[in-house]
Amino acid sequence: MDNVRTFCIIAHIDHGKSTLADRLIQHCGAVEARDFRDQILDSMDIERERGITIKSNSVTLDYVARDGRSYHLNLIDTPGHVDFSHEVRRSLMSCEGALLLVDASQGVEAQTVANLYLALEYDLEIVPVINKIDLPAADVERVRTEIEEDLGLDSDGAVLCSAKEGIGIEDVLESVVHRLPPPTGDPAAPLKALIFDAEYDPYRGAVLLVRVMEGTLRPGQEVLLMHTDAHYQVEEVGLLQLRRVRTAELAAGAVGYVIAGVKAVSDIDVGDTITEAERPAGEPVPGYRPAKPVVFSSIYPMSNEEYPELAKALEKLKLNDAALTYDKDSSAALGFGFRCGFLGLLHLEIVQERLRREYDLSLILSAPSVRYRVTFADGSVRWIDNPSEFPEPGSIERTEEPFIKASVMMPERYLGQVMELCRERRGAQTNFHYLAVGRVELISEMPLADVLFDFNDRLKSVTQGYGSFDYEMLDYRDTDLVKVDILVNGEPVDALAQLVHRDKARPRALHYCERLAETIPRQQFKIAIQGAIGGQVIARTTINAFRKDVTAKCYGGDITRKRKLLEKQKKGKKRMKMVGSVEIPQSAFVAVLKTDKD
Amino acid sequence: MSAGLYIHVPFCASVCPYCDFAVTLAGEERRQAYVAGIGREAALAAADGLKFDTVYLGGGTPSALAADQLGEILGAVRGRLQVGEDTWTFLEINPEDVSAASVSAWRELEVRTVSLGVQSFDDAALGFLGRRHTADDARRALDRLREGGFATVSLDLIYGLPGQSADGWCRQLEEAAARSADHLSCYQLTIHSGTVFGRRQARGSLGEAVEPVQAELFLLTHRVLAELGYEGYEVSNFATAPRHRSRHNLKYWSHEPYLGLGPSAHSFVGRRRFWNQRRLRAWQRAVDAGCRPLEGSEELGDAELALEAIMLGLRTADGVDLGSLRSRYGVDLVELNRRAIERFCDGGHLVLDSGRLRPTVSGMAIADTLARELEVGASG
Repeated sequence: MDNVRTFCIIAHIDHGKSTLADRLIQHCGAVEARDFRDQILDSMDIERERGITIKSNSVTLDYVARDGRSYHLNLIDTPGHVDFSHEVRRSLMSCEGALLLVDASQGVEAQTVANLYLALEYDLEIVPVINKIDLPAADVERVRTEIEEDLGLDSDGAVLCSAKEGIGIEDVLESVVHRLPPPTGDPAAPLKALIFDAEYDPYRGAVLLVRVMEGTLRPGQEVLLMHTDAHYQVEEVGLLQLRRVRTAELAAGAVGYVIAGVKAVSDIDVGDTITEAERPAGEPVPGYRPAKPVVFSSIYPMSNEEYPELAKALEKLKLNDAALTYDKDSSAALGFGFRCGFLGLLHLEIVQERLRREYDLSLILSAPSVRYRVTFADGSVRWIDNPSEFPEPGSIERTEEPFIKASVMMPERYLGQVMELCRERRGAQTNFHYLAVGRVELISEMPLADVLFDFNDRLKSVTQGYGSFDYEMLDYRDTDLVKVDILVNGEPVDALAQLVHRDKARPRALHYCERLAETIPRQQFKIAIQGAIGGQVIARTTINAFRKDVTAKCYGGDITRKRKLLEKQKKGKKRMKMVGSVEIPQSAFVAVLKTDKD
Repeated sequence: MSAGLYIHVPFCASVCPYCDFAVTLAGEERRQAYVAGIGREAALAAADGLKFDTVYLGGGTPSALAADQLGEILGAVRGRLQVGEDTWTFLEINPEDVSAASVSAWRELEVRTVSLGVQSFDDAALGFLGRRHTADDARRALDRLREGGFATVSLDLIYGLPGQSADGWCRQLEEAAARSADHLSCYQLTIHSGTVFGRRQARGSLGEAVEPVQAELFLLTHRVLAELGYEGYEVSNFATAPRHRSRHNLKYWSHEPYLGLGPSAHSFVGRRRFWNQRRLRAWQRAVDAGCRPLEGSEELGDAELALEAIMLGLRTADGVDLGSLRSRYGVDLVELNRRAIERFCDGGHLVLDSGRLRPTVSGMAIADTLARELEVGASG
């Protein structure tokens, strides 16, 4: 076990995590040059394209160190985004150490800090690595200062590298071998293996990614998942070396995979502990918490005929994405759809993108909502995330909404604008403190609902890209919530209804009305668009009618072309939704969710 | 059902900046070859077996051909195709080609409707449109044609020109009526890409009137002409009496068969539509080699034909014959569109009576919308 090291790389987005992973893999010869591709640990197209990691992955590397000894290095690649912090936590728990990667020109950012705190929570040994030292804008000394002052780490031991140029890769590997501790654990003890992620294989079902903490996993074992209390029989275990490599066993300290007849990823919970049914461990690995969706939105197919396909697609996505939840939903305007729950906005975007891309579905999403706690006059409590279920205001005693603690790191010069932005978003208890010279961290307690609506985009815009943002959930607090309806020619468009704080109702309603007026094509009658609370109209726009739509000439030679144009337009119409007699294009539903600034 | 014969004469003395038809400035030699080519194409097309009761010489500028060339063309088609005794012959002409001699030659050729490309009675507008005649030329030509004893004298006018006022346009219409035109074609200026105006539009130095103005002018045109005794029987066509309606063009709008000869001409026979090579040279090569000069064709299904019938019918005051739509294409328009039709009737765009769905004038103004909104079933 002395020659095993298990570690992950933690970094802010774009600081070069995947590139460094690629270099470490190449350096250890785990992949033939001809089989290599960038971001090799990210298997989904969407991960590769957006340069993000959604699913955790791991790879076991064989490394012969400068001292001549051979090591097994388990590199666990984790998602970086806050939406997936649940997976990040599980991955960190599987490691003894972490490389903290910092961009030599960007310096320490909010996600760096958030992920470092997480790593420290799990008692990991940290090695700072300063990446991109080849860039002209690299300022290693400044970054060293930030590592010292912002993170409280000793920067003398920071390893310098350029993953892109392949500089310092061996130094990184040497620091893994010499500065990170080997795993502990007794192969003979009762089995305790932590599931840190799972992926779906169409032939084998769910493939569980595990770190064995104690004991030994072998094929044929009857195992028990301690939190879900489910029994399975182990069919196969092995190492992940960019492909699955079958082994006879996985002993304490090992990182690998288990196939045990689990049908779908959603059948298990990431974070659960596998033990032996015959000889169970006394306690599961601590820190288990099922992933809970915090953002909700209804997804409707553009055309009702696509509903069965959407149902099938969600079922398939769910096989590999345990955090996604969905239930049937229906809208008077948009027909049948699903109410879906997501870990955050990025998760929502990814699901939407995968449905579009992998299943070729054209979709309409309703405005994302958080989950509110409504207490009725009779003392009963209901959780509500769907505006259509919002009760009669008279029956409500009190409404609460989720608050987060947001941390924003930025150069000092943007502090004023960012404070203003937080104030706009109902931020409370806003404080800031200086980090290294010229840099500030601002902490604000904000309603999650106000962060969902384009906060990150606005932050990037007011800080010209220099601000970074992370958050953690706090608690539920009292709020004054109203349901804003959007009416088109007097007909409420239920998919556009939303729950907002009373103070935000009018500007939000006006924003929706204006966006709709821009995107709904003029029709042969006047269209009134209104925002209303109950029966009271709080915002209004109008689309004037058109009265002329006919070509001047249509003779023998014009008919074919004209018919073809009409056919095309009729097809386009099928992609519109009828509300009363008004046609609303998909783009209108998309546009209302965008902000004024983009 | 008798068919219409269209002969496209692509020759012009100059190309107007708004025109997107297949035209050429080619000279005498190619004109002569073309005339012979039409004869050959007519012989090739005889196999279609159509019987004709209208012949329409359009362009381009048919009057740019010499009278004996027109005679040769008409002689050839009358000889080689089944052109009935009582066939109505139409000729498009430009004012500069009208003389005492040409008028009597056209009479000799048994032309019954002459359609004069006046475009405007205003010299500034004519200049803008790149026309070679003056307003006075047009007036003189019109008088000559009137005296020539044609059954129907028709004028083409263009409106919606930049800077043209509603009053100015009304005066044009009044003059056309005062000069006792039997039939008017009034086209709102449309800018096509690939024309001189199209290029000017792309540069931003020219544009069509905005929609509310277009709508005003369109409705004004129909209203004023109705007051002057013209029935707007189609979006852009007006006649003082049913006999002056263009019985050739009506075939297009009522989905009757037609055969087109000459470059770019389209034909509709049975369920098939086919069209000729657009360029004169390509067309000429084909007919000279003894081939049908086709560029493309399509076989239409019921839903496509029904969509065309609706799209075309709703351009005309007579509207769509619902019974014929059902018997020819199996489409029950009212059954399929109860709510939409009710809505358009309530909105004053459509009228449903005696088995026909007719557009009102404001309905005609949005005929394309109406055709888009009405369902024709499965593949429509």
